[in-house]
Amino acid sequence: MTNTIASNIRTLTLALAGAFLVASIGVTYWTIFASASLANDPFNPRLIAASRDRPRGAIVDRSGVVIASSEKTADGFSRSYKDQTLAQVTGYASLQFGLSGIEAAYADSLIGQDPADPVSIWRARYLGEHAAAGKVVLGIDEKVQKAAADALGGKRGAIIALDPRTGAILASVSVPSYDANAVVDPSRQQSAFNALQQDGSRPLINRATQGLYPPGSTFKVVTASAALESGFDPNKKLRVDDPYQPDKSWGDYFVRSASHAHGDFNMADGFRLSENIYFAQVGLAIGSARLTDYAKRFGVGAAPKLDLSAGAGQLTASGSIDRPTLLADTSYGQGELLVSPLQMALIYATIANHGVMPTPHYATEVRDAQDHVIREVAPGPVGQVISANTAATLTTMLVGAVSGPGGFAFGAKIPGVNVAGKTGTAENRPGEAPHGWFIGFAPAEAPTVVVAVIVENTAEGGLTAAPLGAQVMRAALGK
Amino acid sequence: MLVWVAALAVTGFVAVVGAETSAFGPAALIVPAVYLVLVLALHLFLVAQRFHGDQVLMPVAAGLTAIGLVLVQRLASDLLLQQLSWSIISAGAFAATILIPRDLTALSRFKWTWALLGLLLLIAPLFPLIGREINGARIWIKVGPGSIEPWEAVKLLLVVFFAAYLEEYREVLTQTPRRIGPLPVPPVPYLVPIVAMWGVAMLVMIFEKDIGATLLFFGIFLAMLYLATGEAFYALIGVVLLLGGGFVVYHLFGHVQVRVDTWIRPFDEDLRFGAGYQLVQGLYALANGGLLGAGLGNGMPDRIPVVWSDFVFDAFAEETGLAGAIALLALNLVFVYRGMLIALRAPTTFLQLLAAGLSFIVALQTLVIVGGNARLIPLTGITLPFVAYGGSSLVTNWMLVALLLRVSDVSTRMRGRP
Repeated sequence: MTNTIASNIRTLTLALAGAFLVASIGVTYWTIFASASLANDPFNPRLIAASRDRPRGAIVDRSGVVIASSEKTADGFSRSYKDQTLAQVTGYASLQFGLSGIEAAYADSLIGQDPADPVSIWRARYLGEHAAAGKVVLGIDEKVQKAAADALGGKRGAIIALDPRTGAILASVSVPSYDANAVVDPSRQQSAFNALQQDGSRPLINRATQGLYPPGSTFKVVTASAALESGFDPNKKLRVDDPYQPDKSWGDYFVRSASHAHGDFNMADGFRLSENIYFAQVGLAIGSARLTDYAKRFGVGAAPKLDLSAGAGQLTASGSIDRPTLLADTSYGQGELLVSPLQMALIYATIANHGVMPTPHYATEVRDAQDHVIREVAPGPVGQVISANTAATLTTMLVGAVSGPGGFAFGAKIPGVNVAGKTGTAENRPGEAPHGWFIGFAPAEAPTVVVAVIVENTAEGGLTAAPLGAQVMRAALGK
Repeated sequence: MLVWVAALAVTGFVAVVGAETSAFGPAALIVPAVYLVLVLALHLFLVAQRFHGDQVLMPVAAGLTAIGLVLVQRLASDLLLQQLSWSIISAGAFAATILIPRDLTALSRFKWTWALLGLLLLIAPLFPLIGREINGARIWIKVGPGSIEPWEAVKLLLVVFFAAYLEEYREVLTQTPRRIGPLPVPPVPYLVPIVAMWGVAMLVMIFEKDIGATLLFFGIFLAMLYLATGEAFYALIGVVLLLGGGFVVYHLFGHVQVRVDTWIRPFDEDLRFGAGYQLVQGLYALANGGLLGAGLGNGMPDRIPVVWSDFVFDAFAEETGLAGAIALLALNLVFVYRGMLIALRAPTTFLQLLAAGLSFIVALQTLVIVGGNARLIPLTGITLPFVAYGGSSLVTNWMLVALLLRVSDVSTRMRGRP
């Protein structure tokens, strides 16, 4: 009898020893194996504490204008942010709330431990010698940034401009913005951060890359790409009679024309007058498989590779176009589509760049304290999405949408420059004013700038957005 | 054996104080000196009692308590005097436990008294006037100006009760159980307490909002049931019941859901600044520890909320590294091993079960909190025995040591070799 208890005690002790072993392995995992990745986690307060005693590297624009820098105060160094229009891009480096934006994405570079410079990392880790922090250079162009901020003014929305040849982001504005200096100021950080988190207008979100909106008519280039590359003849005239339904099986479901049109439309007319019924018919003609394929190729539903976080959006809620009415609606940019301004800018950059989609990036270089470039951020193209011919055809039609007779996007005209572009008026939940879009590029013959503008809840829709796009492109082109 | 405790306490304090203030005065030595006098007094007390039991247990516990004091100084130095006072009270409780119960077997006679007392203490926090909810768990009762965790005393009472109960019914019940297929069916006298205990455990989880207490409570019961019967299957039934009940409770009650969610995905954006903040900061601390640690006083474990009670393990691991963490675990394992050894040598079934149950408490508490700190299991508010800040816990743990030593003493005497 006593013996059984004794053997039970032995078994239990053995089991406990085994459990202790498991616990030790768990602890080993965190202290040794997960150590490096957690040490560089943007929210790890140790990473920021490291820069309390030493200056953190500066963040500058492409011509060296300082956007964020460390300044010496009575108790160590504190971070100072100069451009509130870039708040969501530069982010903040807070001991309390961690890092965000460029401060997070290039956290190691900003404390003199860029991955391209392993010697500095080793010296810091094993010898405790810290290299003076270098700086991160952004592709942001002060002039274009200012033009974008001024264009949007206080209107809620976003503007993003990029160079279609390289993917470098020239301007990035998201309204409402916030003052990052409040988030890093110990005397008011808690109340400031709480207020930002509870703010229903979500100022911490970078609407340019993370805001998701229905694209409206700006999406028609995707439908057109799918059609052109499926052998669909863009010169063929389609009959448009508002309201439209292909057959009676649609019941009381109709596609509506914004201009209550009746007439024959080819593709150029469809773009110029932004005719939903034309593109609904094109979509129904090519089928959901083709449209889904091209939407995916253009990156709809997948987060673009970017050095900051970016939204993925969706083609439809279920991921597939599973009914004809949804196919028709998706073809002219409604249905259940959601995209970010960055994604739309990339789709138009593809058209501007002869069918090759560039990889977007905010930073362009990391420099050391002696101003030597230690790393270039040049991610290269994503790939050929559509043929150069298709891109050229679309460009011609997009120029027509801006400067052709009755072109909806006339507000984006710039004297002496051929502008290609498309407006969009994205319908919202019932009872809310639509969002206004403009996406375009210039000069049409050899584009150097793509801009995407979204103005939230504006009665005029795309008409509001187009002139803002022109302002930004003029700044970029120096006109 | 006590010499290393002395070395540890003094160097620990000097290191911490030295790291935090550039100059250290004699003040840095006062606390360790008081503590060492205390431990030495206990040692002399045992000698005076002609104590013949285990020689390892007490120094190990004293060492762990010393580590605890060093960590309190490091992490919450304003609580240091309190913790030192609690150490002195613990020493008193230890001495009292050594002296008072003249015959340990007498404990078993009053088992129902213990059970009732335990149950009362367990549900006491639920009563409106005396109960208190701290950090989301309603496991405290008000006593004068402070609060105590009655749960700490309950675990000792429970072990005594289980040991007595199981000893009594064991004779009747180790007859071959009826079987359905290959599965033994627990006879009614086992089945009833299994179900009853499970019910109580669930109630604790729901109303006192403390998963840790539930786990410990039920764990002790299952372990002792296994010890008495050798039927691992009973324990298995218990575990299945606990998981099943836990699953239902998870879906019904928000506080349990939050605990589990923070365990599964603490780094998600909605949790890392909210419910998961503490755990995430703890994991950062572990990661910063590396192999040898940042050095006492050089890490940033103070970023973890309530670090001195819930996350002492992570704090210790950050500053002493994997090496220190493993050493701490090993020290606990040595304690458990010595405790189990005492159980093996005990002369009667009651004493065997008592000693094994008490040792099991220390083992399970260590595993649950270390597991929680290292994100192996959901985090709970269980204290790391002897090390974590907290009066109730320290006092009962030292009483536990005294009980184990008493068992050890009895068996040595009965074997007739002093």
